[in-house]
Amino acid sequence: MSKAKKIVSSKPFIMLVWVLVLVAIWEMGAANMEKTKRTPENVLPHVSQIVASVFSDKMVSNSQTATQIVWSSAEATLERAFIGFLFGTIFGFLMALLMKLSGLVEKTIFPYLMLIQMIPIIGMAPIILAITHDIGTSRIVIAAILTFYPVATNTLAGLNSVSKEKYELMYSYAASKWTIYRKVLIPSCIPYFFTGLKISAPMAITASILVDTLQGDGGLGCMLSQSLKHAMSIYVFWQIVFFSAFVGILSSVLMGVIEKRVSPHMRADRKRRKKV
Amino acid sequence: MSEMIKEREVEREVEIKIDDVCMSFKDNNSNDVQALNRINLAIKKGEFIALLGPSGCGKTTLLRTIADLLEPTSGKVRISGMTPKEIRLQQKFGIVFQNPVLFEWRTVKKNVELPLEIMYWSKVERKKQADRMLELVGLTKFADHYPKQLSGGMQQRVGIARAFGIKPNILLMDEPFSALDEFTKEKLHDDLLKIWRETNKTVIFVTHNIQEAVYLSDKVCVLSPHPGRLSAVVEIDLPRPRTIGMKDSIQFTELVAKVRNSFEGGSL
Repeated sequence: MSKAKKIVSSKPFIMLVWVLVLVAIWEMGAANMEKTKRTPENVLPHVSQIVASVFSDKMVSNSQTATQIVWSSAEATLERAFIGFLFGTIFGFLMALLMKLSGLVEKTIFPYLMLIQMIPIIGMAPIILAITHDIGTSRIVIAAILTFYPVATNTLAGLNSVSKEKYELMYSYAASKWTIYRKVLIPSCIPYFFTGLKISAPMAITASILVDTLQGDGGLGCMLSQSLKHAMSIYVFWQIVFFSAFVGILSSVLMGVIEKRVSPHMRADRKRRKKV
Repeated sequence: MSEMIKEREVEREVEIKIDDVCMSFKDNNSNDVQALNRINLAIKKGEFIALLGPSGCGKTTLLRTIADLLEPTSGKVRISGMTPKEIRLQQKFGIVFQNPVLFEWRTVKKNVELPLEIMYWSKVERKKQADRMLELVGLTKFADHYPKQLSGGMQQRVGIARAFGIKPNILLMDEPFSALDEFTKEKLHDDLLKIWRETNKTVIFVTHNIQEAVYLSDKVCVLSPHPGRLSAVVEIDLPRPRTIGMKDSIQFTELVAKVRNSFEGGSL
């Protein structure tokens, strides 16, 4: 492959092109809005204006700049998302193990778990809030519910991916069931488990933000709807949008980083064999 | 008289006895399919036995009844007077499949150590044994590599090192080299014979390759299909150690012809 071709097909280059294309489309939209003579800031500000607002000292509420508002409300949202994610992960993993251990559990529980996934969270959230009576708890519960399913299904797929020959080999060693789980099944499902985590981490954050919008008790989602309603500043709105997107992507990438840390064989280069 | 006694001492004791083993399966239309029909075979300790035949002749099925992976429909298998299950529970089987069946998250060395962990060997003993086995298969330098970094031939070598590493009484090999290219295969044949000579285990080697069977074994058990039956046992009296040059000898060619002619059904 020629050098130029290599650069063009490299991952960072493709990402850069994507970012540039998106910014270009955005700017076209923003320029058009300006022409309509509406106050542009209230509809679609330029990217540069949003970036500038991040570093601006202008107070948009009684005592806080736009950036300070984002940071202070992010804390509650992300903390709850994280706790929910943690619970969902643990339950999802254990449920996958349980389904693997017992075919009966798999047959009776698994199809119905899918139903939970089909209920839109926007419908589920008020119900959970009504049950828990606490916005913090319901953030955790909803984040956990959304995390649970991708983790459980992917982990189960991983547990079921073990080849017949591996079982036969373990059988020939007269290995106990516990040994087979510990030495074969659980290590085998780790890549699948992380696939589940990569899907559910951003979902947990989305869920937590969404629950915020239900009650005016702080949090990113709450600020999001307030900034729209009260015209506090459109920049708070856009900052939250970008911040959430960024944190969502970051959470997924983080899962990938953790995966590589815990499974060193994934770091080993397939093509470049060490010269010996 | 004394000579006769000596003769009997030299004679190796029978380790595996296969008595009238029959095996039938139900096919998709629930008709009985006879995979094995009245197999009788005695295998001596330390012998290298090939089970040879075309696909569908039941050679793998026979291996699996010895390994306690299948229960024969009738007849019995005895190993040193015990059932295959008892031998398996004593962890005396080493198995090598056609696929290397390595555990991709473990290094080469850790793969060899895996069965030893299950058998509660001490850490020091495990390491020592794994090093020794990897040296035997010539993979010492690759001990800390992961399976996916190795070629197919090297991966199968790890599988062999692992199987011999547990000090089994019986080595069961199910077409271990059939996925490899000819050059790698020849190299692995010699490696396998070297390890076998040094460890002196009973080996049962399933293959559909006549040359391979003749080159490796003491006896070639020829199985014919429909129903799977033992049609001949051909003694291979080529001297040991075997060398690649023997494949060009008249004796080798004659033995190959003899084995080929002993297939029943004539479809070969």
